[in-house]
Amino acid sequence: MIRHTPFFRLSWPTLNFKAVLCALFLLIIVGTAAAQQPQPFDLAQIERATVFIMQARQTAGAPVITCVGSGTLVTRNGLILTNAHHTVPNENCPGDLLIVSLSVRPGEAPTPLFQAEIVQADPGLDLALIRISRQNDGRLIDTSALALPFVEIADSDTVQLDNTITVVGYPGIGNEPVTAQRGTVVGFTAEPSGGNRSWIKTELAIPGVMSGGGVYNQEGQLIGIPTTAPAARTTGESNCLILQDTNSDGQANTNDACVPVGGVINALRPSNFASALLRAASLGLNLDFLTAPLSTAAAQANAAPTFERLFFAPAVNEAGMPTATVRSMPSGSTSLYLFFDYSGMTPETVYEVRVAIDGVLNPTFGLSPVRWSGGRSGSWYVGTTEQPLPNGVYDFTLYIDGVVSENARLLVGQAEPAPSFSDIVFGVEDVLGNIAGNGFVLPVAATVSARFIYRNMTDTTNWAAIWFREGAEIPGSRVEEIWSFGTEGTRTIRIQSPSGLLPGTYRLDLYIDSRLAATSNLTLAGAQDGRFARIFNDSHFTTASSPEEAQTAAAISSFTAGTAALYAVFDWELLAPGTLWTVSWYVDDELFFEQTIPWSAAESGQNFLMRLTGREGIPDGTYRFELKLNNLLFGAASARVGIGQLPIDRFAAAEGVLMRGQIMDALTGTGIPGASVFIVSEDFSAADFTSLWLQEQLFASAVTDSAGFFEIDRLLAVEVPYSIVIVADGYLPITADGLEVTLDDHPIDIQLYLTRG
Amino acid sequence: MTIIEVGRAETGELSPRQRWSHYFAILYGLSMIIIGINLRDSVLYATIPYENARAGIRGFYPQNWLLDTQGDYVFRVRDMAQPDFKTTIQVQIIPVSAASTARNLLDSLALTRAQIYAAYRQFPPRELILPDETIASAVDYSFVYIEPAPFLETLPVVVAGQDVIILQRGQAVVVSFQVSAERYDQTYPIFQTFLADLEF
Repeated sequence: MIRHTPFFRLSWPTLNFKAVLCALFLLIIVGTAAAQQPQPFDLAQIERATVFIMQARQTAGAPVITCVGSGTLVTRNGLILTNAHHTVPNENCPGDLLIVSLSVRPGEAPTPLFQAEIVQADPGLDLALIRISRQNDGRLIDTSALALPFVEIADSDTVQLDNTITVVGYPGIGNEPVTAQRGTVVGFTAEPSGGNRSWIKTELAIPGVMSGGGVYNQEGQLIGIPTTAPAARTTGESNCLILQDTNSDGQANTNDACVPVGGVINALRPSNFASALLRAASLGLNLDFLTAPLSTAAAQANAAPTFERLFFAPAVNEAGMPTATVRSMPSGSTSLYLFFDYSGMTPETVYEVRVAIDGVLNPTFGLSPVRWSGGRSGSWYVGTTEQPLPNGVYDFTLYIDGVVSENARLLVGQAEPAPSFSDIVFGVEDVLGNIAGNGFVLPVAATVSARFIYRNMTDTTNWAAIWFREGAEIPGSRVEEIWSFGTEGTRTIRIQSPSGLLPGTYRLDLYIDSRLAATSNLTLAGAQDGRFARIFNDSHFTTASSPEEAQTAAAISSFTAGTAALYAVFDWELLAPGTLWTVSWYVDDELFFEQTIPWSAAESGQNFLMRLTGREGIPDGTYRFELKLNNLLFGAASARVGIGQLPIDRFAAAEGVLMRGQIMDALTGTGIPGASVFIVSEDFSAADFTSLWLQEQLFASAVTDSAGFFEIDRLLAVEVPYSIVIVADGYLPITADGLEVTLDDHPIDIQLYLTRG
Repeated sequence: MTIIEVGRAETGELSPRQRWSHYFAILYGLSMIIIGINLRDSVLYATIPYENARAGIRGFYPQNWLLDTQGDYVFRVRDMAQPDFKTTIQVQIIPVSAASTARNLLDSLALTRAQIYAAYRQFPPRELILPDETIASAVDYSFVYIEPAPFLETLPVVVAGQDVIILQRGQAVVVSFQVSAERYDQTYPIFQTFLADLEF
């Protein structure tokens, strides 16, 4: 194949026999010596994958830093998981430029190296994925060529109480190195946004700037994101640091804009909340809602946020409703939920729960300031689960943007046997008096029934039932009676309207002696389909060149590879504006988008449109969207794109062995700059590679820096026989076959000497 | 008794055998020099054929250069033994419209590169006649290469480059050559050889 046959043929293995032996010997000796102890938790790798993020506002002069925080690299091509509050532009953080810094050398403060852009964000969950896109001087980066250290994300549902965790982030405002704090899991906080494990609680007092960093289990996998949102700058409790002379008056003082850094963090957002964002970001997927919202939602936007109607419940049911309301709890209780109604909230609103037990503040049961992850108005709860509640008087105080909003008190340790109502379930009543239906979402009809359990009742007790729709009492629905139905059992009550009940969100309050004893919400939506609601119809996928065309395009279940856009289309009926609905998107059964939002279109209509696009077309896979109310499925459709399966990401694994080291001159002992280190795939030998020098035969490669140091840009898989080839101008090359590593070797630090030739 | 042997005195002239010995020695030396030069050239300029029937490209690239066909180019070869910036030759095919000119393409390349490369500077384009009489456009440029790995410390390298663009049949063949500016003159013959052998 060689066109001009050289006078002698260069035979690497022959030339390098001694060098091979030398290399193998060094690999074994140095690699083993560097890793005598197994290191399942690689803190050094985690610290290298931790970045410091500055949000800045570009001005005529120097950029003004507006917000700071930490973040973690989760892919080798520069995807960073962090918080939304210090990256996505908002009132507190109005910057338009994201600067990513990292510690180049261990123990040093971070150096600004890159610029990033937001690729996915959920302001309510306060999570964002940003992608390194430019060098710090503004030049574009080919992200496919980046080979950055990154961490692997674990299933946060595996975290248990008392597990040891390590929190990693930058505690300073760019002037301190990355640090790690070790602590334990002391509990979990429940919210409707994520169920009983919406937050992981730790006893650590984590500095606010570490918000957005990483929390790791003992295997070194990311299980959470320390999260706090600084309160608005206008409040007295905001922690805001003045760093620059932003108004150019020659002084850096209180007249200048400050950088909010937040208070102490003890709440960790579980990593599972980021899975969908990460999947969408990795695949470059973007979802747009194309059906225009009604103008009523915008009209409510300026209402001041408020909390009201606080009460406690011992448990919640599958629909997120309180099973009962309580004013005291028995000793040994392990779960407690504070319910309240909210209005005027936005994803940027910061709320906080402080809990004092017998007058002493107890951060374990509270929640540090975090972003609001619910809708604009409705019912919410904050709960404590899986941890014993000490006896005492509990004072719960709710804050909105750093200002006290409401408070409530509960006694733990003195449960009194009181008459109670509990477990309200709604349904359609048949002729035999049985309640049927799916409990909390019923079709629009003339009558709705509610069944509840009663205990310890006496026949002289006053009780009442009041129905509400959209927060307002329904005239004529109030029932106030003397109880006459016995001590224990179930009772059914109903609300009816001859002209038919309107669609919307209803609430039933049950009172015993003027005390709220039980309450639950109900959604009335859709036409009657037997005992169930038919809300969404004709859900399907299609593709088109424009949204207008998509509305009339035929349903398609199989798309060709590289399709530019998928349109999801459905009809709907009798769904009141403001009703919370959930849309979930999956690819190959993995969730990549989920949002619960108030319904903002007309009450009934056709061809609601969502458009899914990809950075480079829609990746092959099986796509499905689901439409839900109160966690109940009411519509779905699925379709295949290409082969119907996602391509395998060969760079996805963060587990493996890092190989790094230094290539030196055998004569002088100095590092050789620009030497190339090739790791050849297991299917080829060093001789195969050096005969043709094909990139496709390579597993990874690296080039030494000015001091001869190198780092292979990809972790080596364990117990796979690689070959290694090292070449440098003016030196005899080194080749070796059969290089196998185990996790015990991680990381391999090698020093190799090349002989001048 | 003394025996006196009378012989012919040395005259300084070489015998035919000696003469031919000298001739052969000189010839041998010259041969070795030629062989040495040939050997050196063979090692330095040995090439390997590359053919991509789909793209309609055939050429010869330097031996022991790393061949990469996995990017958005037909192929790219790099001299991985170079100490700093790895000398690169790349062949790319870009579809163009009938109205496009080489100048349009050069401007487009310049805009893209200005966003990627630090201190990118382009010199005025010029016409280049290839060995097969094909008229091409060529542009020289320079930029500063900075090692992308953040944890390695390498000084930036000034890189000189040349793009040669040939428009034909609704597509543009862009042949790019990039090398550390310090080695440009020394390495440019390799690119010239590559261009001379390139068939498309």
